[in-house]
Amino acid sequence: MNEQRPAWLEQARDLLEAGSEGLDAPTLSRLNRARQAAVARHRKPQRAAWPWAAGVAVAAACAVALLSLGPRAPSAPTAVLAQAQPPPAAPAPAATESDAELLGADDAADLVQDLDFYAWLDAQGAQDG
Amino acid sequence: MRIDESGRAAAAGALDAFLRSVERRALRMAELAVGQREEALDLVQEAMFGFVRHYADKPTADWAPLFYRVLDSRITDWHRRQQVRGRWLVAWLRRGDEDDEDDPVAAAPDPHDPGPLARLAGTEAAGALDGALRDLPLRQRQAFLLRVWEGLDVAATATAMRCSEGSVKTHLFRALASLRRALEVYQ
Repeated sequence: MNEQRPAWLEQARDLLEAGSEGLDAPTLSRLNRARQAAVARHRKPQRAAWPWAAGVAVAAACAVALLSLGPRAPSAPTAVLAQAQPPPAAPAPAATESDAELLGADDAADLVQDLDFYAWLDAQGAQDG
Repeated sequence: MRIDESGRAAAAGALDAFLRSVERRALRMAELAVGQREEALDLVQEAMFGFVRHYADKPTADWAPLFYRVLDSRITDWHRRQQVRGRWLVAWLRRGDEDDEDDPVAAAPDPHDPGPLARLAGTEAAGALDGALRDLPLRQRQAFLLRVWEGLDVAATATAMRCSEGSVKTHLFRALASLRRALEVYQ
C-alpha cells in the first residue's frame, strides 16, 4: 500500500502492531512449537503414494480370486449322491388359460351331463358300421 | 541426493522465516475473530499446517495471501461450527457482496485528518480499537486487518478472502465507516 493513508489508520496500525508484540511467553512458545512442527512436516521427504495403491490393488485382486474360485465346485460325495438319485419327475403341466375357458363354458357343462348318451351313441355307430 | 537435502533445508528455512513473520499478526486476527486465545492458537496452528501442505511449493511472493487464505478458511469453518452448535448467532453470513468503484483506503478524504483515535492515550486507544474491531462483522474485520494492518493490496486481499476485489472494497468501506463511528465516541 503506497498510497497516503489517513493518520488514524496509521495510528490503528501502530496500535495493532504494538499489541501483537506484547505476547506472553507461553503463547510465544506455543506459536514456536506450531511453526516448527509445520516446517518439520515440510522437511520430511514425501513418500510416494503408489506403493500403497499397488498393495491395496493386489490384495483386492486376491480376495476377488478367492471368492470366485472357492465355493463354486461341488464336493465329490455330493456329486455321487446326486447321480444315485432318480431324476426328478417332470412337473405336471400347468392348467392353461384355454382349459379354464373350456371348463367355464356352458356347452362344456352340457357335454359332461350327457356323457352317457354320447357314449351310447358312439357304441351304436360302431355296431351299425 | 545431497542437493535435494540442501534444497529442502533452504526451503524449510524460508518457510520458517515466513511463518515467523506472520504468526503474531495471524494470532491477533484469529483472536479478534474467535475471542479466545486457545482457540486462536489452534486455528493458527491448523493454518500453518494447511499452508505448508498445500502452498509451500508456490512462489514465495504468493505466500502471504495464501497463508491468510488458509487462516480465513479456518476462521470461517470455526464460525460455521459455532453456528451449528447454536452458540453463535452473528449475522456475518448474511452480509452482501456489493461492489464499489473505489478503494476506500486510497480514496480517504484527508490524510492529515487526526481521526477518531487522536485524543486517546495509548492503552485506552488500544482498548477502544480492540473493542471496535471485535464488533465488526467477520468479513469487514478481515478486510480491514489484511488491507490496513498486513498491508496486502486489494488483489491479494481478495485472494486471501476468496472473493472479488469489489467485495474487498465494499467490506473495507463499511469497516472504516463503522470503526470511525465507534471510535468517535471516545473523542
